[in-house]
Amino acid sequence: MVLNIGPQHPSTHGVLRLKVVTDGEIVSDITPIIGYLHRCFEKHCENSTYEQVIPYTDRCDYIASMNNNFGYVVAMEELMEIKVPERVEYIRVIMAELNRIASHLLALGTYGLDVGAFTPFLYMFRDRERILDIFELTCGARLLYNYMWVGGVSHDLPVGFVETVYNFLDYFEPKVQEYNDILTFNKIFIERTADVGVLLPEVAISFGVSGPNLRGSGVKWDIRKDEPYSIYERFDFDVPVGQGLVGTMGDCWDRFYVRVLEMIESTKILRQALKDIPANGDVHQALPKKIRPPKGSIYRRTESPRGDLGYYIISDGSPQPYRLKMRSPAFTALSVLNEISRGWMLSDVIAVLGSLDIVLGEIDR
Amino acid sequence: MTDNQEQLIQEAVEKALQGDMDAVNNIEDRVTRSKAKAALVKAKREAAKTSAEPSSEDKSEESATESKPAPLSLNQKIAGIIASQFPGTVDEESSSETHIQLQPAKWFDVAQYLRDDPACLFDSLQCVTGVDLGEESELEVRYNLHSMTHRHAVEIRIECARNNPKVPSVETVWHIGDWFERETYDMFGIEFEGHRDLRRILLPDDWEGWPLRKDYEVQETYHGIVVPKVKEGWE
Repeated sequence: MVLNIGPQHPSTHGVLRLKVVTDGEIVSDITPIIGYLHRCFEKHCENSTYEQVIPYTDRCDYIASMNNNFGYVVAMEELMEIKVPERVEYIRVIMAELNRIASHLLALGTYGLDVGAFTPFLYMFRDRERILDIFELTCGARLLYNYMWVGGVSHDLPVGFVETVYNFLDYFEPKVQEYNDILTFNKIFIERTADVGVLLPEVAISFGVSGPNLRGSGVKWDIRKDEPYSIYERFDFDVPVGQGLVGTMGDCWDRFYVRVLEMIESTKILRQALKDIPANGDVHQALPKKIRPPKGSIYRRTESPRGDLGYYIISDGSPQPYRLKMRSPAFTALSVLNEISRGWMLSDVIAVLGSLDIVLGEIDR
Repeated sequence: MTDNQEQLIQEAVEKALQGDMDAVNNIEDRVTRSKAKAALVKAKREAAKTSAEPSSEDKSEESATESKPAPLSLNQKIAGIIASQFPGTVDEESSSETHIQLQPAKWFDVAQYLRDDPACLFDSLQCVTGVDLGEESELEVRYNLHSMTHRHAVEIRIECARNNPKVPSVETVWHIGDWFERETYDMFGIEFEGHRDLRRILLPDDWEGWPLRKDYEVQETYHGIVVPKVKEGWE
């Protein structure tokens, strides 16, 4: 039987259509049909200046806009060989890690929703709200920030920012235990997710799966550690990997639990960054008036909450990019769906899809 | 007062030349600070002038006495390996330190070799980028490969004709090649020979033209819907 899921369906996390071939309730083939949100971001970039690209990157992965901004400006600064002031580096890391926590909270909450747990979703959205408040305090926007600019950030930190984030961390850290109690180690949740959709490490690498999904399969690979960018080499943090604690290594539960552990690592980075951030300094210092990178091309990737976010930028010396390609981690993650959910029940497909944490804005671009 | 100011500027500039920009940025008075910045730029320019000349002499001397070739970049090393295994595939003239230019003919075999050879082990295909080199010239596909074992990366570039763009598919070498190649086909119309399921991926199947080519003209209507034109010349 051919079953159509989506494009409008709550469990597809956006406008994704799945053509599922089933035999009874057992799935034998899945064809994801994407492109419903395609805006040809890359064509738009060719007709915008380098500064105007940044708001477009916000709208790709709209759950983690800060990290998308971050990836782009890191690539641009490497292409132009700019060094940004210390304070800017710290501000960027703080924003990126806050956004990582917010993004993981959304991923975990909606994943609970996918497999039938409603309450954790509300808990996590309650706490994500606090991070969005911090962002609103900083740059006025709650979802699409346009905050990181080439050579700096758009606004300096507001008065009392550091205390606000400390307060948030003091509030948030004990909450992780609460999530674990209510969802992670809940027996029903484990029944639904353990041993389901096992992703083997070599399959994951061949499919270009990255980030928490790859680490869930036991591969210790994090660009923040292995190809450090910005100032990440200064911070002391671990890279959690899946161990098959309640099932097989690389199952849905492992991918879920890696995200929980990563939030704790992010709070560690945040505490170190808040301690060391220079008290004042100009945040526009290295900002050029008109961005005209030298001729050349660059491929740079950074660690977004979904994995390796790469930008391939080709410059011909004009104020507009000649070609800009975004390598989105969710695109590669979705491509593995068919491989790991064949042979499972239809309801497990939803569990597998949720565990991959896709964002359609980034897949379709 | 002015002596004091000049001294302050001089000290700050000296510190800044040693890499401590804070010395300049922490100057309270705005006028003094901007003067210090100007002085810094001047000092840097002079330093670059004086250092550039002797260093170029140094280099020529060095190469004359030792005649030691510069250390090869990873791309050059891998290019050497490919050239010895598959003669005639590497276009050495247009390869550089940062990329390897290949002929399309044996790309599939080269890709397999790059994935499996113990010295290369490029087990992950990071990114496939289609590039239009200009309305008058050819198309190009760029592959960014990465090895999880050796933790190294190379970039491969393959040119193909604009009228009949064909590149061998590496979809069976790396699984993700499937979707990446479909995306490149979708945007540039490059045909990946041997791809088992080469369809459009982001655009609808009956869309006309290849959007990311520089000479692309958007169709007027699609199923009776007016297609908005891309605005050009933003300032």
